[in-house]
Amino acid sequence: MTQLLLFNLFNGLIIGAFYALMALGLSLILNLSGVINFAHGGFLAIGGYLAYMLIPHIGFWGALAVAPVLTAALGLVVESVLIRPLYGRDPLYSLLLTFGLAFILEDGTRYIWGPGTLPFSIPGWLSSPLSSTLFFLTGYRVFMVGLVVAAVVGLFLILNRTRLGIRIRAGTLDLETVSVLGVNTRILRNLNFGLGIYLAGLAGVLAAGMLGLQPTIGSTLIMPSFVAIIIGGLGSLPGTLLGGLLIGVASGITTVFFPSASEAVIYVLMGLVLLVRPRGLLGEEGRF
Amino acid sequence: MLGRRGPDIAVWLLLVALPYWLNWVGGYTSLGSRVLVLGLAAMSLNFLLGFTGVLSFGHAAYFGLGVYGVGLTIKYLVPSTLIGMAVGVIAGAIAAALIGLLIVRLRGIYFAMVTIAFGQVFYFIAYRWNSVTGGDDGLSGWHRMPIDLGFTTVDILGNDKAFYYLVLVCFAVAVAIMAALLRSPFGRTLLAIRENERRARFLGIPVDRHIWLSWVISCLFVSLAGTLYALLNNFADPHDLRWDQSGDFVIMAVLGGMRAFWGPLIGAAIFVVLQDYVSSMTANWMSFIGLFFVLVVLFFPRGVLGIIQRKAAP
Amino acid sequence: MSLLEVENVSRRFGSLIAVRDVSMSVEDGELRAVIGPNGAGKTTFFNLISGFLAPTSGRILFDEQDITNLLPARRVWRGIARTFQVTEVFPDLTVRENLRIAVEVAAGYRLRPWISRHADAEISTRVTDLSDKGGLADKEDRPVGELSHGDQRATEIMMALALNPRLLLLDEPTAGMGDQETYNITRLIRQLHQDHKLSIVLIEHDMRVVFHLADRIMVLAEGAMLAEGTPQEIAANEAVQAAYLGEAA
Repeated sequence: MTQLLLFNLFNGLIIGAFYALMALGLSLILNLSGVINFAHGGFLAIGGYLAYMLIPHIGFWGALAVAPVLTAALGLVVESVLIRPLYGRDPLYSLLLTFGLAFILEDGTRYIWGPGTLPFSIPGWLSSPLSSTLFFLTGYRVFMVGLVVAAVVGLFLILNRTRLGIRIRAGTLDLETVSVLGVNTRILRNLNFGLGIYLAGLAGVLAAGMLGLQPTIGSTLIMPSFVAIIIGGLGSLPGTLLGGLLIGVASGITTVFFPSASEAVIYVLMGLVLLVRPRGLLGEEGRF
Repeated sequence: MLGRRGPDIAVWLLLVALPYWLNWVGGYTSLGSRVLVLGLAAMSLNFLLGFTGVLSFGHAAYFGLGVYGVGLTIKYLVPSTLIGMAVGVIAGAIAAALIGLLIVRLRGIYFAMVTIAFGQVFYFIAYRWNSVTGGDDGLSGWHRMPIDLGFTTVDILGNDKAFYYLVLVCFAVAVAIMAALLRSPFGRTLLAIRENERRARFLGIPVDRHIWLSWVISCLFVSLAGTLYALLNNFADPHDLRWDQSGDFVIMAVLGGMRAFWGPLIGAAIFVVLQDYVSSMTANWMSFIGLFFVLVVLFFPRGVLGIIQRKAAP
Repeated sequence: MSLLEVENVSRRFGSLIAVRDVSMSVEDGELRAVIGPNGAGKTTFFNLISGFLAPTSGRILFDEQDITNLLPARRVWRGIARTFQVTEVFPDLTVRENLRIAVEVAAGYRLRPWISRHADAEISTRVTDLSDKGGLADKEDRPVGELSHGDQRATEIMMALALNPRLLLLDEPTAGMGDQETYNITRLIRQLHQDHKLSIVLIEHDMRVVFHLADRIMVLAEGAMLAEGTPQEIAANEAVQAAYLGEAA
């Protein structure tokens, strides 16, 4: 029993780490620009598909390095052309826009690469288990956690040690003051968006390796990101991280006792948090 | 001549006579029914969105409760159209009332996010509980039952026109109620909340309570639209609960003009016709719909009636 | 007993003490001005009285009832109305519609899904009355957002008046106005004070307005009360002069 529990707990942590990665990108964009990027899943998918195209040429590690960057570049273009005109307006419009964009991206990937699942090759040594007793610890899973940890640490360093990061954090609190202080908020929002999309692209490469690559991969994964942000609290990146891990773990543990409810439990958690602490576990008061 | 009531009367005349002129322009009656049903859904959403200023992106959940409410009732409980509709509407209203209590203190994009998430919960239930709902295949094996009024039976199953008039009656009742509410003191408090929530609060309007009421009314009529939609198709589709359905309602309202009462109906008409046309031409209709969203938002945010209103004002 | 009793209220924001142990007592029908240099905590003080914020310590009594933690909407029902530093109205609605909403809410019609023709006529009359008094009759069918700053402010004040308040809080009513508009608003306030025997507390920077209208003046500086008295007493008060001039130096 403990073996099973441990297995699922760890599994849950891994899934949670993955959700957190996705949700962090979404949260970054939401906090600074006030945009709900419905197309986040679409960018995730693009990241996966670009990696798929690159692997035959530069191998898995090359694709892992390059695909997210390309995806981020696409994100930069999208932000400056489509989203920037909408900043002054009601958030309704940016939501509708990213909504439409999600459709275009999903259908676009289906058109280019077909509706079926594509085989996504990861290096052989990654997919074998690390030990026979802890058989669930495949190299790939451990690698995923490691990569997510690295990404989170990297994000933390960027936000705290670089000029860009500090401006992003300040802008999240008060964009108007930041712009009055001479920071070019257009570029700031643009780069912030790109950073968020980079994380989405990275998550896409990882997801493709774990779940297989298909056009709907983005739309199936975006909901848990939303829930992670709601549970963790709007405006708080640590909250988003916590939220992601929490729903992953909750999902994992539920699988042991009520396998069919493992997906539903994240919504139950969300309902509970809204009931008891509407602003989220680590959310700031008055953020909304 | 007819003054302010002119446009309203024109709209009603068009709707009453629809089965007769629609065929003439190349349409068919059940397309008209479809426009009316989705128009009702969009107008109900707009009660909350355009008139109270609250963005909900998860109305498909209550639409879906109406859809499955009527389907499950007719298939498993009582083969009666009217009872099925009542069940669907009541289910939607109760769910909306309860969820509303949970989320009414939230605002702006946070509120929108939460409505999206709750929308997903219901989609998930419809999708997963396949023993009851039929899962991904949807709920089939049932159909709208003729309505027994005692002195006569209305064959809404075989007769498309008869069904259209049932839809029209429901539409008329719902729309009349919403219009009356918007013209009343209560309706004006909703406008106040849309215009300036802080000022509304400082006039003594209990904002959260009024938003909750607007929310419940809006969801209730969306559920009604859902029941009619299921009856139209003789089928309950889990896809009707997905976030894209919610998005469709919003874009219909925006396209037709959020600040105009009839705006969403016009938006629905355009959207339905466009979707019909595009999906018959290409398998990639999803990209076109997506592109459509993007274009409307960037270039046409005021919507059809919004632009006309602009031109009419000096 | 006075209408409004503010007892030793303080408000902190973390380590910042915005309002420090301030007391104020306003009688029925009095017109009190609150003045002070920028950042003295005047608007925060108003926020405490109107219910926008809760005090960190102290009590507020209105009509001998403790309203310290009462929600804003409820304070309105008790008879406290307020205007804001940045005019808060319903910009896309006409003047008449703005006033109408205030009148209907005050009449207890907020939840009414329907009103009788008789009630409708009564409301209409009241709206016309308010519109005339505010000097808005010739613009009443225009969206408030399109009017001049002074007219928007007048609309806001008349909306507050529509609530039949016992106490009216005006936050910098003449802010950002030229001489003519300032004169109009000052005259409006004076008229309302005389005709309706309201208690009014107003925050102002324009000393001409203050000395023209106020029965008594309270001076706030750095969150604490510096002085309190009649206009003559305040004008002669050296500490007050220093607070203002010290700022400029």
